[in-house]
Amino acid sequence: MAEENICVLPCNGLDKSLGVIAREVALKLIEKAPEFNLICPVLLNSGDKTYEELLQKSKIIVINGCITRCSTKLIEQRGLKPFKQIMIPNLSKKYNVKPSKTLNLDDENVKLAVIIADDIIKNLENAEQIEDKTATRDFQEQEYFDITVDKYYFTVPKKGYFFNENDCWIKPQGKTALLGITDYLQNAASDILFVDFPDIGKDIGQFDDVGSFESSKTVLQLISPGSGRIIAVNKDLEPHPEYMNQDPYNKGWFVEIELDNFEEDRELLMNGPEYFEYMKNKAIEEKEHLDKLRSEKDV
Amino acid sequence: MSNSYDADKETFMGVPRNKIPWWPTIDYEKCNFCMECDKFCPHNVYERTEDENRKLIVKNQYNCVVFCRACAKACAPDALTFPDKREITKLIKDLRSEKKEG
Repeated sequence: MAEENICVLPCNGLDKSLGVIAREVALKLIEKAPEFNLICPVLLNSGDKTYEELLQKSKIIVINGCITRCSTKLIEQRGLKPFKQIMIPNLSKKYNVKPSKTLNLDDENVKLAVIIADDIIKNLENAEQIEDKTATRDFQEQEYFDITVDKYYFTVPKKGYFFNENDCWIKPQGKTALLGITDYLQNAASDILFVDFPDIGKDIGQFDDVGSFESSKTVLQLISPGSGRIIAVNKDLEPHPEYMNQDPYNKGWFVEIELDNFEEDRELLMNGPEYFEYMKNKAIEEKEHLDKLRSEKDV
Repeated sequence: MSNSYDADKETFMGVPRNKIPWWPTIDYEKCNFCMECDKFCPHNVYERTEDENRKLIVKNQYNCVVFCRACAKACAPDALTFPDKREITKLIKDLRSEKKEG
């Protein structure tokens, strides 16, 4: 594999059985790829300097057993950014394996750990092969509506995009369409650190969950404005999730679908001017709500 | 950014929010009260209680963002369910056309 160092940091895993699976995945990874470095979360958290230099020069894979994401936080606290984040709860659902009720893993759970470890290794190998080959899409200059509310600056493309009230957009281009999140949602999320894509080939309906993305603050979903089949995901977002913040309507696109029935989808969507009004009101209402809370606090 | 406003005034796609029955249902047979959903939800949908059998309840159902199911992703024992998305979509379409005709 790569000459680069790879570190594997699971959560400690003693809080719930999903955590024990996270720990098991790390052990299976080391078994399959002995060149990986296993990082002990407890030793790391103790302030010991053993891993300091190694982490600085490595790609770090963090494996979390729950949404508290302790291992991700351990890395972020050191001013570093994980290269890849594995969320065991999502994967246990994806593979339909229930976590055991106690901290002793059953056979199914151990099998799940092996599958996840294999997936991680496979993805690392694929990433090397497809690097720099991802199709770049050309985005023409477009005109935007814009407004500043409080400390946030919001834009909405005037033409070519349609929106749902979950702050996601669809840009139809003939029989296919790109999907992404709006400026409003990226502002609400703040710095996006991870993306979780659907499988290519998956059929999605309007308002289905297409995938999730995660910031230091929260985990959010992209709720589909349209229906169809996933034909591409924006692989550039894995190394550059910040594109979703910097350029949510272009470079920050999330997935591409083959449209099923856009005419029907369109009935429940807003166009640019409509969405801009909706979003503006929402942002202003939120500001007023926050102002009210602040003034109540002051009293 | 929080979204806890007056549910009576709130609308979703032009339909009053309180006419759309979208919120999570907790299966108390499965729920282990790990509170991951409550820790996750930024909209104060859940509330913790003193009741031993129902340490967590759905309190502010209309705060729940229609079509959002993000909390269910945080639920390890799979104790949270949401209504059928297609039925809700149809209901919204019907209510919207009623409004137009009426």
